[in-house]
Amino acid sequence: MLKTIIQYILDLGPSVFLPILMIIIGLIVRMKPSKAISAALTLGVAFAGMSVILNFMFDQISPAAQAFVKATGLKLNALDLGWTPVAAIAWSWPYAFLMFPIQIIINLIMLAFKWTDCLNIDMWNVWNKVLTAVLVQGVTGSVTLGLVVGAIEVVLELKNADLLHNQIYELTKIPGISLPHALGLTAVILAPLNRLLDFIPGINRINLNSEALKEKLGIFGENHILGFIIGVLIAIFARYDLKHTLILGVSSAAALTLFPMAATLFITALLPISDAAAEFMKKRFPGRQFYIGLDWPFLAGQPSLWVTTILLVPVILLMAIILPGNIVLPFGGILNICLAATAVVVTGGNLLRMLILGIITTPLYMYVATYFAPMITNLAKQVKTIEIPAGQLITWNGMEAPEFRYVFSVAAKMFKGDILPGLPLLIGYALLYWWYFKYMLKKEKEAAERISATSQSL
Amino acid sequence: MGQRKKIVVACGSGVATSKSVAERVKELCKQRKIDVETLAVDFRSVKSHLKDADLFISIAPYDPTDYGVPVVSGIPFMTGIGMDKAMDEIEKILKNAK
Repeated sequence: MLKTIIQYILDLGPSVFLPILMIIIGLIVRMKPSKAISAALTLGVAFAGMSVILNFMFDQISPAAQAFVKATGLKLNALDLGWTPVAAIAWSWPYAFLMFPIQIIINLIMLAFKWTDCLNIDMWNVWNKVLTAVLVQGVTGSVTLGLVVGAIEVVLELKNADLLHNQIYELTKIPGISLPHALGLTAVILAPLNRLLDFIPGINRINLNSEALKEKLGIFGENHILGFIIGVLIAIFARYDLKHTLILGVSSAAALTLFPMAATLFITALLPISDAAAEFMKKRFPGRQFYIGLDWPFLAGQPSLWVTTILLVPVILLMAIILPGNIVLPFGGILNICLAATAVVVTGGNLLRMLILGIITTPLYMYVATYFAPMITNLAKQVKTIEIPAGQLITWNGMEAPEFRYVFSVAAKMFKGDILPGLPLLIGYALLYWWYFKYMLKKEKEAAERISATSQSL
Repeated sequence: MGQRKKIVVACGSGVATSKSVAERVKELCKQRKIDVETLAVDFRSVKSHLKDADLFISIAPYDPTDYGVPVVSGIPFMTGIGMDKAMDEIEKILKNAK
């Protein structure tokens, strides 16, 4: 009986069942009923709105993507949506809201035992862990394993905030904060690569002026311009005539401009709950010294971050064509912010190093997007967020922490009897992490000494 | 009684951080009876939104760029620490704005 009721509710689709869940949670955290209902309806509107834009996009871009495959012979049948639609799909996972208590409880325990100094109040990015859980469930078929890997990610993110704290202060001069965002986990890969660059003679003598480049390139980073260019490029490869090329360009520009607009509705809906959760956490530790974990955009004022994402656009497009086995057609995630935001911290904002790291790791992001495309597509189909045309896959190129998600998804398969390749991958990750941990502790100590030296000389 | 003031908040994609800061500032302005509209945008297109703005709340306050309007740090509205002081600053700037 209960099962039938639950199935009935799930069958209503996320634009109905999540608002119902939201009202219940809202009342539990003592929101006013009128506010809870308004927030819940906004959440439903966010899902419905995202569906409208996605369906528009599939109508316009899927035929072009198919023509692209036919004309070029390149099997790029997984359309990269970028993070905003993928966030919508992740939130529509029926167990998504469980990730709130998981993150909060782990953080409180780690603070209590002094295993971390980071109080993470960034409740929006709970969805990163939801996505990880979704992907692990997609690979292993187990919800429990998904939630467990999500919990491991919470621990690693908090440890990572500890390992980046002083270096972030040196870069941004904002006191009392750090970065527990999932994208920072990729520093495990970027820091050793950046260390290798130290051995290339003369690399530190090349100083590229990010600020001037940002002024020149800035316009290409705007959503509508970028969307138009990518749309036109796809159309040209698909051998469209001029009329249809221009139509596709404007449609692509519209999709990339409208995605963030629909995504802000999710924030409006979830804000009261995430505020309540953040308040709950802050109240628990009145005496304890800690710093606050924030979402990554406090790094967004670094000009090298934007210049890197824009200069990597042609690299990503080229790699999509030449990488063997790649099925990703770059689109919504064409600005690889997750890479650039981590690289800016690891290199201290050195543009040349960021570009080199970006070029080296572009295949990693792309192959992981290729690997997870069927799982993301399946979830979107199951929860009926969108109608995806047959034969079309969706994915996200440039997702945060691709190395972590891949290694731990494959490692989770060990519980299903597949020891290979999970075990060696996990051991490799652990060794890399061990080096990274020691290296970053040293860098943090050096940064702390520099910080206290400057504050004394003032 | 002044006319409605426009506050622009920018973050990485104009979605998460900027929207939450914008909503919070709007609510706090309402409590102080300051008539404002807030707009959440992404850093890449911020300049085109600042032309008729009275104030820019930056999530990256160390950024040395001259935006042509008064800039206030948005960090207090993210961490919840020092929000009153930041609001005093905002109120002062908006009162002086024509």
